[in-house]
Amino acid sequence: MLGKLDWSAIPFDQPIPLVAGAVVLVAILAVLIWVVVRGHLPYLWHEWITSVDHKRIGVMYILLASVMLLRGGSDAIMMRIQQAVAYQSQGYLPPEHYNQIFSAHGTIMIFFVAMPFVIGLMNLVVPLQLGVRDVAFPTLNSVGFWLTATGALLVNISLVVGEFARTGWLAFPPLSGLSYSPGVGVDYYAWSLQISGVGTLVAGINLVTTVLKLRTRGMNYLRMPMFCWTTLASNLLIVSAFPILTATLAMLLLDRYLGFHFFTNEAGGNVMMFMNLIWAWGHPEVYILVLPAFGIFSEVVSTFSGKALFGYRSMVLATMAICVVSFMVWLHHFFTMGAGPDVNAIFGIASMIIAIPTGVKIYNWLFTMYGGRIRFATPMLWSVGFMVTFIIGGLTGVLVAVPPADFMLHNSMFLVAHFHNVIIGGVLFGAFAGFEYWFPKAFGFRLDERWGKAAFWFTFTGFWITFMPLYIAGMLGMTRRLQHYDVAAWRPWMIVAAFGMAVLSIGVICQIMQLVVSIRNREALRDRTGDPWDGRSLEWATSSPPPVFNFAFHPDVRGEDAYWDMKARAQQQSFEHDVPEYQDIEMPRNSPTGFVCAFFASIMGFALIWHIWWMVILGGIGAFATFVVFAWRDHDEYVIPAEEVARIDRVNLEERRSLVSMAGAV
Amino acid sequence: MSDQTHIPAGHDLAPGEEEQHSVGERILGYVVGLVLALLLTATSFFIAGTDLVWQPSIPVALIVLAIAQMGVHLVFFLHITTGPDNTNNVLALAFGLLVVFLVVGGTVWIMSHLNANMPPMDQIMMRQ
Repeated sequence: MLGKLDWSAIPFDQPIPLVAGAVVLVAILAVLIWVVVRGHLPYLWHEWITSVDHKRIGVMYILLASVMLLRGGSDAIMMRIQQAVAYQSQGYLPPEHYNQIFSAHGTIMIFFVAMPFVIGLMNLVVPLQLGVRDVAFPTLNSVGFWLTATGALLVNISLVVGEFARTGWLAFPPLSGLSYSPGVGVDYYAWSLQISGVGTLVAGINLVTTVLKLRTRGMNYLRMPMFCWTTLASNLLIVSAFPILTATLAMLLLDRYLGFHFFTNEAGGNVMMFMNLIWAWGHPEVYILVLPAFGIFSEVVSTFSGKALFGYRSMVLATMAICVVSFMVWLHHFFTMGAGPDVNAIFGIASMIIAIPTGVKIYNWLFTMYGGRIRFATPMLWSVGFMVTFIIGGLTGVLVAVPPADFMLHNSMFLVAHFHNVIIGGVLFGAFAGFEYWFPKAFGFRLDERWGKAAFWFTFTGFWITFMPLYIAGMLGMTRRLQHYDVAAWRPWMIVAAFGMAVLSIGVICQIMQLVVSIRNREALRDRTGDPWDGRSLEWATSSPPPVFNFAFHPDVRGEDAYWDMKARAQQQSFEHDVPEYQDIEMPRNSPTGFVCAFFASIMGFALIWHIWWMVILGGIGAFATFVVFAWRDHDEYVIPAEEVARIDRVNLEERRSLVSMAGAV
Repeated sequence: MSDQTHIPAGHDLAPGEEEQHSVGERILGYVVGLVLALLLTATSFFIAGTDLVWQPSIPVALIVLAIAQMGVHLVFFLHITTGPDNTNNVLALAFGLLVVFLVVGGTVWIMSHLNANMPPMDQIMMRQ
């Protein structure tokens, strides 16, 4: 009846996951009860859960990423403490639990923090920057988000029901095969990635189509803000790389469920094929994450330097070059595993070549700042911090791109330090910069600068104190994923790293405090202009938060930095348009399709993990039926009448006019 | 969402939304495509089993026929053309082909190296 599921699945003998699970469960229940008792449920359902508004979906993506960041971060804290204490002892985490933690940490941080954070920011900002009213496929967008949430839910369920994979974040066979991992851990891993992978693919198709097909009047490719370009590149990579991940995991699942032999040791299977395929996805994946971050830094650096981006066209070229070359480097993840010198040399050179367009970008940002009137607001701090951090991470990357050096450093703590250096310093700093930069646009009030700056400095110093010792430990020969060790020379560095983790955690607390303080002071921090940073691209041309239709009129773009241009023209003339003629606007109707689909997908995923076949069929039919019902819908748009558009737009224009005249009076 | 697109009509089209031909013309296009596709398929089956041609040329012939088959599908069913309205589709196709070429070609090259350098233990014993 319930497949492999019974009471032994719940780890009553392990207090840490049980207590953590119980606390989270109580917290979720408390929030749910609060929502129902205070009568917020209809609001939540109509305005958020079923929303197909790209801004709302973007916010939900970022919320999901933030919650999962706390989960992945607690895993990190546990690992740092374990390695600080587990010298010539077992530490406080038993090996099988420690293995689950580092696997969950990697999986969560890449798939459920970094991915939703950048996809959320792209969703929120790209249609606004392009001057359009929504993404190409609004309901599909909602489906994509909720499927990602399903994946995150399954990973979290594994904390208390059953176990998570103990195989590392990429689940290499034969360790992840049925003979060495007979439990449900790898199944949790694979199914949650398969389901959220569908969501990511859908988001990728949606955003590529949006950038290629929906642009406002005059928005040529070479007038698009840099963030739109990096979004295009990143989503092209999603569309071409994620199918590889899906196919690879599907083959692993066939091995595990139906006795196939793709990646087994016997019967003609080849484990190295998994290694090859997973990295053919895995390397483009890191560029999927970091390219949007590069776009964010481009926007932030140009805005806060008060200058147009230096070398816009070379930046576009560098972005697209990275997009293509990222598919030519994947072997550098397994230099040591048997390829001959010519293969290693070619992939090593390709890996070094990809540093060139990245270097071009760094110089472009530096030259953008050069001679600019720089304002060191929080987003700019994150950007400058990124440049310093990422250059070090990039250089260690070029170092391990040299095959002989990689033979020394492969799978060492040096490697761990390197990829945290680029992912935290690149992607996470970028995500935080984007969060601080676009928060006023999304919610209509700024974030508190004092807490924001504190968060930056604690995170920045905490990062260096945590990861520089790991470089040293790696050079001293420490390998990654050690549950305990007996080498005295490593110990001090592990203790320093644990201390750095504490500083980093203060940074996270500051970030949370910033949110709390800002929400409490939101009236004082309110942004009435829609343009709190003196921005340059079209998202600042509308109010904060933007109306559901984004723009009452399609902006007319006449050059790069569209909004900057408009502001310059508006100062010369009286104001943009005096008595505009408003028209009805058609917007897509909200739809529960995404949520219902993901609900059934969650049931199906859980049932697949535990081999509950009747429930698999139930979930599958439910998800398919939802799709059919949506496909047979009669009307999917509603009309906002011209008077309503006019009313909303006049309020915004009034606020802006009064501010402009105030500024003029001063 | 049609009112959002301000890119002039005819500049850029998605697959399947090409300019309006009459129904007859469109059916004719599909029929021609179908006939060509069937012809190529039948030829492949014929070539594979025949001894009328020089045997080593058969695999080459099959590859040529397969590529022709892809071309027929692209032109008659997916409506990829060389016109200016199809730039996106052609670029997407080119990027897709490049990625497939890199991943498949790279995989074959890498795996041949790994197979040569890292054979299972019994094969190493046999070599010695």
